[in-house]
This record gives sequence, C-alpha cells and structure tokens, in this order.
Amino acid sequence: MISLHGTVAVGEFSRQFSLDVGNEIVGVFGANGTGKTSLLRTIAGLCPLGEGELIANGVMVDAPAKHLFVQPELRNIGMVFQDHSLFPFMTALDNAAFPLTMRGVKRNAARKLASEMLDQFGVANVAQQLASTLSGGQSQRVAIVRALVGSPQAVLLDEPLSAIDDESRESVRNQIREHLDRLAVSAIVVSHDRADLDHLCSRIENYTR
Amino acid sequence: MSSVSSQTPRFVRIGALLGVVFLALPIVGLLKRVAWSTLWGQVTDVSTRDALRISLYASVCATVLALVLGLPLAWCLARMQFAGRRFVRALVLLPMVLPPVVGGVALLGAYGKTNGLLGGVLDRLFGIQLTYSLWGVIIAEAFVALPFLVLALEGGLRSIDTKYEEAAAVMGAKDLTRFMRVTLPLLKPSLVAGVMLAWARALGEFGATITFAGNIQGRTQTAPLAVYTMLESNPEGAYALSFVLVAICVGVLVGLRDRWIGGASE
Repeated sequence: MISLHGTVAVGEFSRQFSLDVGNEIVGVFGANGTGKTSLLRTIAGLCPLGEGELIANGVMVDAPAKHLFVQPELRNIGMVFQDHSLFPFMTALDNAAFPLTMRGVKRNAARKLASEMLDQFGVANVAQQLASTLSGGQSQRVAIVRALVGSPQAVLLDEPLSAIDDESRESVRNQIREHLDRLAVSAIVVSHDRADLDHLCSRIENYTR
Repeated sequence: MSSVSSQTPRFVRIGALLGVVFLALPIVGLLKRVAWSTLWGQVTDVSTRDALRISLYASVCATVLALVLGLPLAWCLARMQFAGRRFVRALVLLPMVLPPVVGGVALLGAYGKTNGLLGGVLDRLFGIQLTYSLWGVIIAEAFVALPFLVLALEGGLRSIDTKYEEAAAVMGAKDLTRFMRVTLPLLKPSLVAGVMLAWARALGEFGATITFAGNIQGRTQTAPLAVYTMLESNPEGAYALSFVLVAICVGVLVGLRDRWIGGASE
C-alpha cells in the first residue's frame, strides 16, 4: 500500500499529489514536467516530501510536519530508474544480485536467483558482461530484474520499457506483469507510452501540467 | 589532408619540445654522473640502506595517515555545504604553497616538545616526542602530502554521479555499504592517482622533514636528506641514491601508466 497526499517538491518543481495505490499496478501518464519522476523519487525516499504525508507498505515514511523521514534503504522498495543506473563496474549478474545481498542473502544464492531471473528476461547471455558494455535494451532488462529480484514490498518503474525494441516489448511487458502479479504488491509505472500502461496497469492516473 | 583546427602551430611544437628537453636534461645529467661500476656498493652502504628504508616506510605511513584524514575531508568539501567551507579548502591547500621549511616551523609550533601547542601536552602526559623521531618524519611528510590527496579525491567525488549511490540506497545499502560497494569502486581512479601523488610528494619531502624531524642517520634521515648530506662528503653515493629514487618513481609511473596515467586516451 502506497499513500501519498502532499506536495512533491524537487528544486524549482512543486506539485500537489493525492495518490493511493493498493496491491495493484497503477500507471502514471503525463507529459514531461508533470512531476512523474519526482513522484517516484519522493516515494523511494530520494527526495523528501515538501509537505503532507507518505505511507509506504503500511508505515508512515515521510511526514515533514512530524519531522519524520525514513531513509530509502529502510523502505524496502524496488525501483527501475529512468536511466537504469546500473553500477558500471559490476557485471550484469552482480548488478541483479545486489538487492539480494543487501537483504542478507549469501552471495552464491543471490547470484543463482538473479541468474534465473536474468534468464527469464532474456539477458542470461550477458550476465558476465560489465554493465557499462550492455546495450540500452539489455541494460533496461537487467534494471528490471534488479528492481524485482529482491521481492520488495513496493515497486516503482520509471519508463521501464523505453529502451526495449518493438519485437520483444510484448514479452518484457508480460514478464513484468507476471512478476508483479506474483509479488502482489503496490506498483507504480511511469510511462510516456499509453499502450504500455494499458497493458501493464489496472488503472491509470493522468497528470497534466 | 588535416583540417586547420587539427594542425598544431610550429611555435607550439617548439615550445613543447623545449619543455621536454627542460624536463629530460636533469635526468640525463643525473644518469651521466652515476658511477655504474660502484653503484651496487653505494646503494648497499649502511647509511644509504637506512635512508631508503626510512624513506619508504615513512612515505607509506604518511600516505596512509593522509588518506585516513584526507578522505573524510575531501568528502565534506565535495559533498557538503557548510559555513567556512572556503576557509577549510584554503587551509587544505596551504601546505601545497607554503615553503616546506615554513611548514616544518609551523609543525614545531604545533607538535614541538617544548613550545608546541600539542607537543608539550603529548610529552608531559604520555612521554611522546614527535620531533626528531620517525613519527616526526611521518607527520612532516603527511602534512605536505595531504593536499595532493584531498584535491584528487575531492575532484573524484565531485565527478561521481550520485545516481549510483541513490540506486544502492533504494536497494537497501546503508551508508558504509554504499561507500564500500559503490562509491569506492567509482572513486578508484582518483583514489589511486591521489595516493600515488601523495606518496611521491612524501617520498621527496625535504624542508619540513629536516626542520621538524632533523637529519639523524638511521632515525630520521630520509633518502632526500641523505642525498643532500652526501653531496659534499660522498658525491658518488649521492648520485647512486638519487638514481635509486628516480628508478623507484619511474617504476611506479610505468606500473600505473596504462590504468591511471593517460592510458585511456592512447
């Protein structure tokens, strides 16, 4: 459950949001500059809420009036970043296994789990490649695996299909949907592509400037 | 045919050539003065061995000390906004521009046994004397080496995109883990460059060391001090030791060339 009622403020940008997401996949659609990425960053704990309250996974995590702010590392959220943000000095496999090792899973077990999931997303063949050498599409798939592999309690996906080619788009969408359904958690998908959101989400929030 | 913009003007080439000659000539002159037939005997002489041992040991310790103090300092300068930040940066740079002898005098004022701000206290309470001791050498070298390390690390930290640390945080990595698993690997090129610069500066330190720690053979006499001392009494030994120092530095540069020094652009 994610519940955000308040002002998302990042730098010059400021916007009032009122969003409740249960165990469902909610799409966020809108033009550039409507604060979609800022919304996700605020939920993840990378930007503090300007004012209002944010509840994630049943816990109040951000409430400026109460001087409450839970650090991102304690929120148990999986996130696909718009630019993927894979660690360039790690292999695709180590990137994918990273959230598991952070949750205390032993390195070998983490790599095994991550490896299986990379296979499901069609990037097992690049598992041993450095992330800096991956193509945009491969990098994005690894980023998706990294966001989902640790079974987080909420998932945020910022343009998760932007670098995926048309041929494999359907398959990646299905994989994401399948994994999110299995996790049965709150998920927010930000996209410019309405078709992606229609396919992935149970409902769509449309933001205009 | 090359374009106009890619052509290097002749006067620039001549200037660059003069620069190379200016840098190379002293090294050639040094090599010419080395008595190769007696080199081994000179290098294995007790005083030379002591000087080399002290130099290598103290320069490594000084680099470690500079790293321990310099990394947090560089972090704060690169990532934090605080009152007095410009003052702290100026303070960090000061040993770089200060005449080393003045640095040594300043160290005496801080850690000197009799009149030092802290030195007197250390001596009275713990019986620790930093002046004229190996610790004095290490402190003098760390004092002059620290700015090189801080500058390299601060630049490195500024150039790291914080998005990687943010991603690690969202994935559950706490402060120290983030630093060890994400920041440090990204910082590695700057870290290695900074450490090497600091170490080289520490190895070559002269003025602050002789002023603060003295020039006691077998105790505080480093290789540069030994070279200076021997230049009058035993010039052959001075050139032999100088050659060893050059060889060590060239060896380090050659060892690092591909990874850290200009390798990427070649």
